[in-house]
Amino acid sequence: MDLEDIASEVLGELVKLGAEDASVIAAQSFERMVRFSNNALSVTKSIKDVIVFAYAALDKRRIMGSTSNPSQNALKGFARRLIESCRVLEPSPYYAPLPKGPFTYLTHTNYDPKIESCEEGVLEEYAKQIIDRATKLGGERTAGAITAETSKISIATTGGVTQSDRSTRILLNQRVFVGDASGHGLACSTHLSAFNPLVAAEEAAEYAKKAINRGPWSEGVYDVILSPTVAADLIQHIGEASSAFAVESGISFLAGRVNEEVACDLLTLVDHGVAEGAVNTRIFDDEGVATRDNVIIEKGILRTYLHNSSTAKRFNTSTTGSAGIIDPHPWNLEVYAGDYGLDEMIKEVKEGFLITNNWYTRFQNLRTGDYSTLPRDATFYIKDGEVKYAVAGLRVSDNILRQLKSISAISRERRWIYWWEVTTPTLAPYMLIKQTTITKAVG
Amino acid sequence: MSLDTDLAKLAVDYGLSLGAEYVEARLHRVLEVGCLLRNSSPEPTILVDSNGLGVRARYRGALAFGATNTLSTQSVKELVEEVVKRAKASTRLVGEPVEFSGEEMGRGSWSAEEKERLEDVGVQRMLKHLRELDDVIKDGFHGVSFTNRLLIIETSVEEKFYVNSDGAELCSRVPRLSISSFINASYNGKNYAITIPAGYSSLGESGGWEVFKRLDPYTFFKEEGSNLAKAVKSERKPPSEPVDIILGPDVVGLVAHESSGHPAEADRILGREGAQAGESYLKRDSLGLKIGSSEAYVSDDPTIPHSMGFYLYDEEGVKARKRQLIEAGVIREYLHNRATAHVFSTKSNAAARSVAYNREPIIRMANTYVEPGDYSFEELLEDIELGVYIKSFMEWNIDDVRFNQRYVGLEAYLIERGEIKEGVKAPVLEITTPRFWSSLDARGKDLQFRAASCGKGDPMQGAPVWTGGPHVRLRNIRLGAR
Repeated sequence: MDLEDIASEVLGELVKLGAEDASVIAAQSFERMVRFSNNALSVTKSIKDVIVFAYAALDKRRIMGSTSNPSQNALKGFARRLIESCRVLEPSPYYAPLPKGPFTYLTHTNYDPKIESCEEGVLEEYAKQIIDRATKLGGERTAGAITAETSKISIATTGGVTQSDRSTRILLNQRVFVGDASGHGLACSTHLSAFNPLVAAEEAAEYAKKAINRGPWSEGVYDVILSPTVAADLIQHIGEASSAFAVESGISFLAGRVNEEVACDLLTLVDHGVAEGAVNTRIFDDEGVATRDNVIIEKGILRTYLHNSSTAKRFNTSTTGSAGIIDPHPWNLEVYAGDYGLDEMIKEVKEGFLITNNWYTRFQNLRTGDYSTLPRDATFYIKDGEVKYAVAGLRVSDNILRQLKSISAISRERRWIYWWEVTTPTLAPYMLIKQTTITKAVG
Repeated sequence: MSLDTDLAKLAVDYGLSLGAEYVEARLHRVLEVGCLLRNSSPEPTILVDSNGLGVRARYRGALAFGATNTLSTQSVKELVEEVVKRAKASTRLVGEPVEFSGEEMGRGSWSAEEKERLEDVGVQRMLKHLRELDDVIKDGFHGVSFTNRLLIIETSVEEKFYVNSDGAELCSRVPRLSISSFINASYNGKNYAITIPAGYSSLGESGGWEVFKRLDPYTFFKEEGSNLAKAVKSERKPPSEPVDIILGPDVVGLVAHESSGHPAEADRILGREGAQAGESYLKRDSLGLKIGSSEAYVSDDPTIPHSMGFYLYDEEGVKARKRQLIEAGVIREYLHNRATAHVFSTKSNAAARSVAYNREPIIRMANTYVEPGDYSFEELLEDIELGVYIKSFMEWNIDDVRFNQRYVGLEAYLIERGEIKEGVKAPVLEITTPRFWSSLDARGKDLQFRAASCGKGDPMQGAPVWTGGPHVRLRNIRLGAR
């Protein structure tokens, strides 16, 4: 059976068994990966999946599930198990009817047959070129992963929706080491022709070399310049906090702030279901509603939460095409460009840091936004408008809302960021944030 | 559940016939149920059936992994062809050829202890218990309102059939149950997002539905809810001068996991995770390194009955055993799979785990903990003139070589002249790994565990683990404040 048939068949089965609302998604993914470390390949991976996701409601009782067994008999059993379990649940006040189509879907070109068909040896050759380039530029060791993914997806709902979508992406995440210094590079693209891993390899190698000679620094309050990679990490947490489900669950620092100023007026943040180069492109959400552009923050003002039909009902508004059946979420975030160059930003910093990568962002209080994160790879000390030397061992320890209001410059240059640590693709600029608290471990 | 073991055997035989020098196949099925109750009303219950075949093959020292969930002879053959083809294509770029340590291969069946099968427990019953749990906390405590509550019960039943060309053939079954929550605690117009248990962790064990009773979540949520409600009202800052600290088992278990377990993973030490989870402050020659005081003892043991990270054989067919990571302050052992054991000229200690059919087996912790000592809690306290007791935490992080770490207290108290006094707001323990383990001077008798999900790998794998320890005492530490 093809994906459309699977989705329609499971939907029919659910309705036959009594479902009043149902949404079924059949998704096929093909992921190939080459991982390398110490300048050599460590493993290659090739993963093919067909997964069927379903949501069903009857008498306001709601259930959802997935199965990785796409055989006809198994799918019937899956539908039966869902409905049998659903019947014994309590009716939920969170129930809302699935939105009725037809919807007008956006179109896109974020599918490249060359990624889907790229044969064995292609990713390996990329890895070789990346390693060679990094080594040639002085990198001692390099580690990373190149991933090529194809996603095909079909949906059928009781709202009258039957629709399909497909997309591809190719990704590089790489680190280059020189001694115990390191630099990080990323590349992500929906098309092979736009994938330029060697630029990322060069940047990682250059950062690694510049990070060798480290100087002193002290705990304190500084101006910090976040690279697009670091800015994207911060922004993805705003995306998560904009979920109406997160707001209702008491784990959003954006709760109760719609139409309030939550950031400086330089910041506009938009979520796109479809955008050129966006590596998580979807024309419909999990309820079959057409995805769209949602302006989450407009010139510093929080304009909306992200909704599915259930959260929208409770907030007395409309779905934003962001389902998640339980938890609405962003698809691809974009921060609007500013008018600064990186050099101009650096010149504005009297004393501070340029942070090129980070990881391990954790919140003390998701409701207020108190958090910390660790710069990793190359970080630089800036004094009187000039980069002086590399530093290590910093920790950003601050409040995300305070930082958003302290953004004083946004760059013209932006990059799509999507990697191990940033799992919502984000088109992010450099950002200069004033008065950020930097701490250090007791040694 | 039933697994078509012939398909796995076919994959191994077919891979060898294509020229692979080693092949393993793992049929891996996980049935999961998630019940969610938000503000006393149910969100959709979630039923997940993840089932498929993972195959790993080695050809002239090149390793390839592949997976499919289309379990037919034809698709399995296609998968094996793809995996062997990818291994062959990468041989020219392999540095040190991957080789495996020689090990005795396990054969037979093993399982976690289980009295009442989770498959027999309906979702209705789970939701009923969630509602009762919600009743315990919904009114809040001590004037603190729990305005938003998301309570979650998750169960999983993991069944595997594993076979490899070195002679291993193993069937296994591990059921697990865990309980977690997110709560907004509101007091005097201030809001605090907390979790019960604290630190984004869970109550959890392996086993059947009897685990729910064993965990006694009603008592736990009542006590923890009450304690955390008091904690969010705390306003006092921690002392600014260096003080002695007592850490609760929740914090100690996390430290053991983050700053002892992760850096002992031999694949990190060899750089294989360099671009993702990072590397390690420990090097190839760090065994025997003095990293802490004579009171520093950390172990990892997959064989603990009822544990979240329970297993008796790993995903390479090697029999599991306890691993002594730090003994009297000295680095004693790394966590190995067969590939890293070969590099280190040692034996695997069965640390290869995979969480699903479509995930490569990699080196993971199981249940990592600080070994208990012989102090009572009162004895730990008695000679502290001025100190802080950090019982639980929320925020934490650690750098990618596992050297520079931070834990921020949630429930914490001032200690004066050997007695627990008023609450302290968000004390920050930001410390290096050697300083932490060198400052530890006493361990309590009271070993406790908490369930957690450990993230590693690319694609990401969240592995069920326990973290644990007793109360411990650290001397002369400067705390920060939020």
